[in-house]
Amino acid sequence: MTKPLTMGAVLYDPKVSIIWEIIREFFETNGIPMDVVYFTNYEKQVEALVSGLVDIAWNSPLAWLETQHAGKNGFAAIAMRDTDCDRCTHFIVRKGSGIANVSDLRGKTVAMGAKDSPQATLIPTEFLRSHGLEAGKDYQVQRFDVLVGKHGDHIGGELDAFKCLAAGKAAASTMLDLNWKTWQADGTINGNEFEILATTDRFDHCVFAVRDNFPEQTKASWLKVLFSMSYDNPKHREMMDMEGLKAWVPGRVSGFDALTRAVQHTNFFKEVGL
Amino acid sequence: MEDTRWTLRVTAGHAVGSTAHVRKHSFVAGAPLSFDAEYGAITALEYLLGSVGADLIGSIQAVARRRRVEVDAIEVVVHGVLHNPMVYLRVVGETGDAGLRAIEARVYISSLDDAPRVRALWAEVLETSPVVNTLAKAVKLDLAYQQVL
Repeated sequence: MTKPLTMGAVLYDPKVSIIWEIIREFFETNGIPMDVVYFTNYEKQVEALVSGLVDIAWNSPLAWLETQHAGKNGFAAIAMRDTDCDRCTHFIVRKGSGIANVSDLRGKTVAMGAKDSPQATLIPTEFLRSHGLEAGKDYQVQRFDVLVGKHGDHIGGELDAFKCLAAGKAAASTMLDLNWKTWQADGTINGNEFEILATTDRFDHCVFAVRDNFPEQTKASWLKVLFSMSYDNPKHREMMDMEGLKAWVPGRVSGFDALTRAVQHTNFFKEVGL
Repeated sequence: MEDTRWTLRVTAGHAVGSTAHVRKHSFVAGAPLSFDAEYGAITALEYLLGSVGADLIGSIQAVARRRRVEVDAIEVVVHGVLHNPMVYLRVVGETGDAGLRAIEARVYISSLDDAPRVRALWAEVLETSPVVNTLAKAVKLDLAYQQVL
């Protein structure tokens, strides 16, 4: 019997297991037996990938960097969602607040998400640093540390940050572009009252990561099945909608520069004991 | 006095789930629990929560008959919360208890009878309901009724 591949995934909510069960079954019915192991945080998942306990890890962008850091760069990003490519973070302000430029944030409070959220905290902090604004010195940060360890997967931190802005307790809040769009569409944000002050450079998000010694043939077979998932197929669409993608695409690491700079300038790995 | 025993035979289904056979009846159950609102079977956990409702309604009906309290309709809404559902999913790094932390039941008794008589009925139900008294020893039970017209 072929030994099943082991996939690692971090759960921020038990309901996320539904998606992974569908994915597991999809691989199973396409000839690739796979077990999914769930982790409570990305640090444990990184350990598992580095040690060989799991073969493939669905890594956040920060977990990707942690994996490279812990495993001395012996890893490959083999696939990702189309929606993981070229994301950006907006700084949101209230219209008419008088905040017209990034420099107007000097002396103000900026609401951000969890301390380990690339999109809601690390990358926007680096953006402001590159514009001459140091956190804690030139502006104050009101952080919302929701589910630390899950790297901002739970968008509650961003939502709390926005509520802080809406309540007048912050001059700006950080928000992933996708959330800015979704929350206007569902009425969470009144687009007549808030606007984008600034936007970070584009960055990439989650990737499937494997060790460099992951067998080529296994990788090729696994990717073939993954890429056979089609949004045009009604049987696949539900799962793809749940996971927020229209297509799986080959993995790339060219979109992690902004996060890499953020991690370096904040000494993040040392801060978290890695 | 010999113990009175109730016995069910439960057999595994084809892939997931089981069928419970009791006397001349049977019922089908799915997984122990599911997080999917579209899951196609009743889970073992849902049967347990349902049994709380069934126990309360059946007990109210029986006590009402005995006490000659007029009850026109009864409805129970039951909620259950686990200590840590992540333990059920075997999430690495999670600790704790996969069992129920609390069960809440809100009982709506439609009756034109006097409130004190319905109150006394409820008190007797709480004393004598077998499922409720069993679970009270294992989980936090929050049971309340409301008399409605």
